Amino acid sequence: MAEHLVIYTVVHQPRRLKLPAQPIPRGAVPRDIERCLFDERMNRRYFEKVARTCYRPASDLFLELADRGLKVCIGFSISFLRQAEMWDEDLLARFRRLVQHPNVELINVEPYHSFLFYVDIDAFWRRMRQAADYVRRLFGLRRAPVVTDTTEMFMSNDIYFALVRAGFRGAFMDGRPWVMGWRQPSYLYHYTKDLYLLTRHYRLSDDVGYRFSNRSWALWPLFADTYARWLAEAEGDLVTIGWDFETFGEHHWKETGIFEFMRALPGELQRRGVRPLLASEAIEQLGPRSHHLPLPAFPTTWAGEGGVEFFLGNPAQQAIFQLMHHVYHKALLTRDPAIIDLAMWLLQSDNLHLIQWFGRFGSEAEVSAYFTPREWWQLGPFGIIHELQQVYRNFLAAMDASLTGEVRYLPGEGPTPVRRSVSRPELPAVAAGMALPTGTDGRHEVAAAGGAPHGPAVAPPSPPRTRPTRRR
Amino acid sequence: MSLTDSRPANGQTTRLSPERTEFVLLSFEGPDPYSRAGGLGVRVSQLAQSLARLGYRTHLIFVGSPERPGYEEQEGGLLRLYRWCQWISRYYPQGVYEGENEKLYDFNETVPDFVADRLAPPAVRSGRVLVVLAEEWHTAHTICEVSDRLWMAGLRHHALLLWNANNTMGFERINWGRLGYVTTLTTVSRYMKHVMWGRGVNPLVIPNGIAPEALAPVNPRQVSALRRGLESGGGRLLLVKVGRFDPDKRWLMALEAVAQLKAMGRAPRLVMRGGIEPHEYEVLGRAQALGLSVMPVHAEGEMTATRLADVLASHPTVDVFNLKFFVPDGLLRALYRAADAVLANSGIEPFGLVGLEVMGAGGVAVTGSTGEDYAIAYHNAMVIETDDAREIAHGVARLQDDPGLGERLRRNGQETAARFVWPRVIEGMLDKLDFAAQLQGVRWPPAPAVEAEGPGRAREAAAAAEEAW
Repeated sequence: MAEHLVIYTVVHQPRRLKLPAQPIPRGAVPRDIERCLFDERMNRRYFEKVARTCYRPASDLFLELADRGLKVCIGFSISFLRQAEMWDEDLLARFRRLVQHPNVELINVEPYHSFLFYVDIDAFWRRMRQAADYVRRLFGLRRAPVVTDTTEMFMSNDIYFALVRAGFRGAFMDGRPWVMGWRQPSYLYHYTKDLYLLTRHYRLSDDVGYRFSNRSWALWPLFADTYARWLAEAEGDLVTIGWDFETFGEHHWKETGIFEFMRALPGELQRRGVRPLLASEAIEQLGPRSHHLPLPAFPTTWAGEGGVEFFLGNPAQQAIFQLMHHVYHKALLTRDPAIIDLAMWLLQSDNLHLIQWFGRFGSEAEVSAYFTPREWWQLGPFGIIHELQQVYRNFLAAMDASLTGEVRYLPGEGPTPVRRSVSRPELPAVAAGMALPTGTDGRHEVAAAGGAPHGPAVAPPSPPRTRPTRRR
Repeated sequence: MSLTDSRPANGQTTRLSPERTEFVLLSFEGPDPYSRAGGLGVRVSQLAQSLARLGYRTHLIFVGSPERPGYEEQEGGLLRLYRWCQWISRYYPQGVYEGENEKLYDFNETVPDFVADRLAPPAVRSGRVLVVLAEEWHTAHTICEVSDRLWMAGLRHHALLLWNANNTMGFERINWGRLGYVTTLTTVSRYMKHVMWGRGVNPLVIPNGIAPEALAPVNPRQVSALRRGLESGGGRLLLVKVGRFDPDKRWLMALEAVAQLKAMGRAPRLVMRGGIEPHEYEVLGRAQALGLSVMPVHAEGEMTATRLADVLASHPTVDVFNLKFFVPDGLLRALYRAADAVLANSGIEPFGLVGLEVMGAGGVAVTGSTGEDYAIAYHNAMVIETDDAREIAHGVARLQDDPGLGERLRRNGQETAARFVWPRVIEGMLDKLDFAAQLQGVRWPPAPAVEAEGPGRAREAAAAAEEAW
């Protein structure tokens, strides 16, 4: 029976690209390149919608639960925090109150929600360290987070050691059977004793995150007493639950009873002797009796079926992935921190997540299509793929000016434009001159959408039958 | 749908009075030198100015110079200029169509919200119908989006949306079904109307206009100076050609005519001013092939008629003077008037504003025979009907040999031009717009409630609405 429970939830909003791709003026300065790459109006629209349905009521909910003694871990992508700073300072203040609550632990998150770990592992661990310092300052905490999440909870052997180098004591990873083997996820694990692993119980997590409002699920409706019983009956001594924060009010609308469910949960847990812990407390208490877990070479993730194929499983995703490499490597050549910063944003995993549906059928494709901005669908499936690639191509071409010295700065403008927001602490740029990874030699041309072996299989989406677990 | 009587009860001839109507013009080109590449810039500038002078509040949104203010008021605040895409134009200093795709994207993305959110609500609150007139293919998508945004804001029925074609460029990029559904289409000549039939639409014809200033007498001293310069340089025929370097303008035909006149011993000099289009290189290549000597003329400081005359006089071996500077209106009109003929010999001309301007300046226009509804052969212009340069050479030689013919064309041309000044064109235009408003089911918003209580209160209400804007 599991006596301990760690609840982790992560807040994220992608920085969506502007589609159709906006042509970038020749010689554009980074600030103007940026406005061509990202659809901030759309981002704001979605942000405000989710703030209304989820962030505000759910942050109130968790504050209430924390007051009642429930311990919760929460992480924020900087992609989200940046939007909150720009468009809803009040919401940020609510989250600040939540994070400063003694029953809440701030978890570090990969700042750009990116695939940087695939492209440049050295930059990855530095950014993870910087992100921890950044959120500590932003939320006014005395110490930086010691436990971390990664993009989409990716974990592999090399990522593990990068996190060790970044100085974290613990990390979340998804406890999929193909990684766990004969082991149960409901224990605390380690690979070396430098970094403990909180393995998410994906089935119990998805009972709420994925299936809660699915009326065709045999176990619907799910009530707090039932769920608490499942948690208590789990084999092991620690159940780790991981959810999108958007589960509460966005993936599952408030009409589904998700808020009432959560309000009832602490009492039901207490009745069954399940004690919620903060992640660092779990490490403190259970670390001495943690178990060894071999780590896979291929990473595991909490998305899809738990492997990287959710992000790189179709030709359109593979083409974007190649383009991610190209834009990042070229950005490094410019040695311009503002350009490198833009390239980091283009590494967002969401740009792969949103086109998982290409050539696919089934519930995962439905989830992916659900998260594809509905405004994009007027382009048609091929149009989306083409324009998405075009954003990268445009950026690649725009960087020419940085390498040929033809960027047309206005008088007074420096090569590193001042960030728009001055209220948040700066996330330091990657140091120029870092070791460059071996690049591609150009033989693998990007698969043109029209030439992809499989056509788009998913039609423009209607809301999926079940509310998905992945975030909008 | 049956039409109701559109005449207002108060004796006015149109419901589109300045008190109840506000215009928004959407155009890539505009009044800035940066924004002028062809006739469109002239058209919208003069139309906007004329509407404002007739008392209409008029907003002109155009791709303006990056060096000028983003927003500017003229005509006592009635004419409001919005220089769009300036952040892009700073990268493209050559003119309005440099970086066209970049500007197009930005224009389409941002103008609809601006019109629907910033211009329409205060106009409607003030009891005015918003008339949005979009020009050319660049704005075709924009106006469709404007329509959608107005629908979403519940204001579409208080707006009259029009889209005007000044030429056929970009027709292949237009979604005609959508455009024809959300707007009333207009064009500038019967020729264009026929062309557009082929696209499954039937536009209303509203002719182009010219500014009243286009009829003002040309400074005779400038004309004399130019003629003296021509003759001092050994020339006997002054020909002028102005327009974009576009094959439709038949630059090659004009050069061949010059070469023929030269071969005939008539000592022609061609003063030409084109745009930044690459066809220029083909034009210059043809001039070279024809044995014509071409000289680019750059302005150092302000170029005046006297200075240009000096250029003509001091280069007797030059056949073609290729002006590489923005030609101010005064000098341009002096050139029109001083020339023996102005070669507006386009093969395809939707309207031919240059021909009309030449007539206004008292010049002799050599026009093509497509959209130039105003041109009548041997009455007010020489009208070219073939693409054979000999036809131009023949006509110009005739003008040189028969000064009386030239005088008659100049006189009749000026009379014709007087019928096309903007106030007179707008008079007819308003009537057509009134009809279009009925077709679109436009409803006039209620006038501010205080209006009935007296003009003083009405002014207060207008001021409040103004402030809200």
